[in-house]
Amino acid sequence: MVCKYTIVNQDTCISCGSCGAIAPDIFAYDDAGLSYFIGDDNVGNIPVDEDVLFDLEDAHDECPTGSIKVSNEPFNGDPLKEAFEQGA
Amino acid sequence: MKEITDITIIGAGPVGLFTTFYAGMREASVHLIDSMPSVGGQLAALYPEKNIYDIAGFPKIKAQDLVKQLHLQALTFSPKITLGEAVLDVKQQEDGVFVIVTSKDVYYTRAIIITAGAGAFEPRPLEVENVQTHRKNIHYFIKNVAEFQNKRVLVCGGGDSAVDWSLTLEPVAEEVTLVHRRHQFRAHESSITELKNSTVHVVTPFEIKKLIGNGERLEQVLIQKVREEEKAFINVDQIIVSYGFITDLGPLKEWGLEIERNSLRVNQQMETTIAGIYAAGDICTYKGKPKLIATGFGEATIAVNQAKLMLDPKARVNVHSTHLFEKVSN
Repeated sequence: MVCKYTIVNQDTCISCGSCGAIAPDIFAYDDAGLSYFIGDDNVGNIPVDEDVLFDLEDAHDECPTGSIKVSNEPFNGDPLKEAFEQGA
Repeated sequence: MKEITDITIIGAGPVGLFTTFYAGMREASVHLIDSMPSVGGQLAALYPEKNIYDIAGFPKIKAQDLVKQLHLQALTFSPKITLGEAVLDVKQQEDGVFVIVTSKDVYYTRAIIITAGAGAFEPRPLEVENVQTHRKNIHYFIKNVAEFQNKRVLVCGGGDSAVDWSLTLEPVAEEVTLVHRRHQFRAHESSITELKNSTVHVVTPFEIKKLIGNGERLEQVLIQKVREEEKAFINVDQIIVSYGFITDLGPLKEWGLEIERNSLRVNQQMETTIAGIYAAGDICTYKGKPKLIATGFGEATIAVNQAKLMLDPKARVNVHSTHLFEKVSN
């Protein structure tokens, strides 16, 4: 099973609430109301728990602004690491 | 000669609606345009049920209720509102008048206020082969329920709107099948209970793989179990796709405006880098900008007053509504 990493691009997040509703174990909202990856405070270096990978896929697919990034590689805090993006 | 509107407002979200009201109050002729078939922007499309707590004067208000009130307020001065119409291009003529090309028409205006939020919303499309061939049978919005009378309808999606449309069409259609790629639906508990007690044929966890038809006429849909080989055919006449919305600045990027991190750079007068084009709300940015509805309302008044000043250099910037409305009612 390949590890999946995620991070939220807070520059484009519009705080719509979609990811938090779909994947409450993965995403929550910070003091500014923007979504972040709970696992490591949106650094994106800790793999997402295998049990919730379906939720990750849904949250990624349904984010209206494409702010949820998913990769097989850690993000090191950089959501614009598009080169590694491979979908959930 | 086509009519020339004083102020055209692009985007009918909360800020666009308030801008429409305010521009009307300043006695400008107004045209409000939005790509969605209904007003309200994000509030209506993404989170109608969410409570908002930072609207002045409302300790708590549901997004859809705020939209309702803003819509009512926007209609005060009978503006022209055209919905389901995407703005594709904006050009300026030599006489300064802007030409707005939309997906449906061409309009002329002296000033533009862009209140497009995070960009134009579009329904997330169904991405399978033959979508183009059968586009007449694929629906993203439902305008007329009667269109589905005695039809075999397939609804795809797992949120509130997929479940609600299935239940709405159940008594009208010949049969309704709801296909979702997960076992769980993300809809109100009461709707899910209603769904279980209905005749809607629920098929999970399946995805649409192929559309099969005779010429343009859709006849069947091939579905496949998620991450498994199991396949099935469903006989259908119409498909309703309820996959949520995606937003994109789209053509706006090509109008020659200065864009910074997906927002339009404005000055203190809410002017963009093109004279006569203003912006307000989430779409605009400046130092210290908070992306809040409350901020957008304030920006709307600045943008309208500046546009008004451009249209009529003798116009006042400070006008008080209490005074104005008393004048109207007297």
